[in-house]
Amino acid sequence: MRVVIAEDLALLRDGLSRLLRDNGFEVVEAVQDGDALIHAVLRERPDIAIVDIRLPPTFRDEGVRAALMLRERAPDTAVLIVSQYVEQAYAAELLAGGGSGVGYLLKDRIMDVDDFVDAVRRVASGGTALDPEVVSQLFARQRDDGPLGRLTPREREVLSLMAEGRSNAAIASELVLTIGAVEKHVANILMKLNLPPSDTDHRRVLAVLEYLRHG
Amino acid sequence: MITAETACNDATMPVRAPRSTQSVKTFLYLLTAIPLGAVGAAVLLAGWIAVPLLAITPLVVPALVAFRAAVGGVARLEGATANGLLATRTTPPVQSPGPKGYWRRIPAILGDGAFWKQQVFLLQRFVVGGALAVAEATLLAGSLGYITQPIWYRWAHSGYGAWKVDTLGRAFLLFPAGVLGLVLALILLRPLTAYSRSLAVGLLGGEGPAYPDPASPVAQARRLRALEWHALGVLLLNLFMIVIWATTTPGGYFWPTWTLAPLGVALGIHAWTVYVAARPAGVPRGLALHAGASLGLSLFLVVIWAVTSRGYFWPLWPIAVFALALLVHLAIDRRFRQQSVRIEQLESTRAGAVDQQDAELRRIERNLHDGAQAQLVALGMSIGMAEQKLASDPEGAQRLLADARRGAREALEELRSLARGIHPPVLADRGLEAAIAALADRTPLTVHVDVDVDQRPPAPVETAAYYVVAEALANVGKHAGAEHVDIAVRRESDELVVEITDDGAGGAKASGNGLLGLARRVEALDGTFRVESPVGGPTVVRAVMPCAS
Repeated sequence: MRVVIAEDLALLRDGLSRLLRDNGFEVVEAVQDGDALIHAVLRERPDIAIVDIRLPPTFRDEGVRAALMLRERAPDTAVLIVSQYVEQAYAAELLAGGGSGVGYLLKDRIMDVDDFVDAVRRVASGGTALDPEVVSQLFARQRDDGPLGRLTPREREVLSLMAEGRSNAAIASELVLTIGAVEKHVANILMKLNLPPSDTDHRRVLAVLEYLRHG
Repeated sequence: MITAETACNDATMPVRAPRSTQSVKTFLYLLTAIPLGAVGAAVLLAGWIAVPLLAITPLVVPALVAFRAAVGGVARLEGATANGLLATRTTPPVQSPGPKGYWRRIPAILGDGAFWKQQVFLLQRFVVGGALAVAEATLLAGSLGYITQPIWYRWAHSGYGAWKVDTLGRAFLLFPAGVLGLVLALILLRPLTAYSRSLAVGLLGGEGPAYPDPASPVAQARRLRALEWHALGVLLLNLFMIVIWATTTPGGYFWPTWTLAPLGVALGIHAWTVYVAARPAGVPRGLALHAGASLGLSLFLVVIWAVTSRGYFWPLWPIAVFALALLVHLAIDRRFRQQSVRIEQLESTRAGAVDQQDAELRRIERNLHDGAQAQLVALGMSIGMAEQKLASDPEGAQRLLADARRGAREALEELRSLARGIHPPVLADRGLEAAIAALADRTPLTVHVDVDVDQRPPAPVETAAYYVVAEALANVGKHAGAEHVDIAVRRESDELVVEITDDGAGGAKASGNGLLGLARRVEALDGTFRVESPVGGPTVVRAVMPCAS
């Protein structure tokens, strides 16, 4: 898999490149700012761009803006935003297009190398990776007496992992359940929340997120 | 539309007395200047004589306290009168605030601005107020006398020189002059109301009734219209007078001067007030009005002198009095303006301090983000990768763990230096001298430190001084190409002076980011910050901060 990295801090840029190379990715370019990122992506057409939110020159939300532009101009390239803080609004902007292959993770997640690599692969192949922090921000907006309140604690755990973009198999291994049990939970959740059963993980994520955002 | 607007205005503005009622009240207020002014003048005279006389005895304290109380009492009475008749809201203080104690009362009272303002008020009430009362009453009574002349001319035998009022016709001739005088007297009451109010409010404190914004276009248009009517009236009246003069005594004594001159002067003053009111803010209005009115009246007196005796130049005396009053006004105005400039300065430095603080917080956040936080992420990555490799590539894993340990140490150092940037521990523990010495130790430059502060300045001043030195040293290291730096910190009376001199290339600009931040920090403490950096050097950064303890 071919990767472009945009990160202004050399320490993290090099560490991330090394980590990805060690795990079988091909890091075709590692750049420092949003403009360079867009040029690199349009030239290299990588499978995925991993982008820090804060980039020069303003160190605000350059990364998000560059990612949104990439979504338009290079829809085949997946975008994974990494950041030292998560902001639900940015996640909403990234997901608003409805396209596939979007991720938004805290940089902390990189430390769990296997999970992180898994997330990069998932996003690169059209899936979703949302940071648990974003998901819990979304959950925090829900009222306890709403439909969410009718979920069992286990179902809520499953729903969180669904919202993060995990597949049934990943959820099963995370919660130490059988895949069959996860499938049963998922069916129950979708029914309780009145959501249509989806054929792909990605659509399922979008439906769940849509539900969490707008009730 | 118009009714709606009026209703709206009525609803939002405090109730003011109708104009006619207010005119009566103002007239009464002017009259009270005679008894109250006399009382005030008596108190002032007694105080001004007694206090200096007793100045070399301990009795000066009770004398001054009594004088202050008496002035305050009369001022309170004046305030109540103004409140009743001019609709102001003022309660002048009777006592001067300040520490108790026999001798300490003297500076407390003498330093009390309210006390001096009250004295000025009492004095002007006696001198100016009394004169105004007499003038207005005379004008009013004289006008009424002229108007009623046809009724009682038989018994009065009034007249001017050879010209006797001995027929009903001649008595009626005085009638228009009487009407004119009456109108003038009534019109004058309006500016007199405003004048009395502003004096009472300005010198006794408190506030007056709300006025519509004098700068609003509506108010300006109204003033302009009033001026036009005034001018038209004066013009017609004078034309009328001149026609009468031309038909009755052509070529004779030009008596219409007596209406032309005063009415012309009054019109001129009126026009001047309208002009001044239309000027943009920033012009000291009161002063401009005062100057214009004084000039107009002086001119008037000179004209009177010119058309009458032309002998001894008596207008000199009133003109001298006008000039003196104007000078006093000027002095008072400057004093108050200095105060308001100071307030503006305070506001802007406070805003600067807030900006400064905000910038500081952002800087800290950025440092955290790019520094320790990033290092911890990198550290985590190294450990994560080492974990992955532990089984397959133990040597690689060991290398990664060594990286991780180095990363942890760097993160700690980063955090430590950040904490020092927020508030250096050595400054808190050991004070300025040790903290500056520590700063000097950390630069590659040759630094000569001379700190001569016997007593620790207040914490904010100390911190600011530290940052001045730190930032100046950082600048020298970055830009100046200097080798030697002299740092001098000393106390000069109530001020802490911080001076950093380097032998570098000079040409530093005080508007640079770091230096601007320092300037704000110093100004927020009421200090001054200067950078002198001629091209070729040397550069002197100098901060002076008050540190009264």
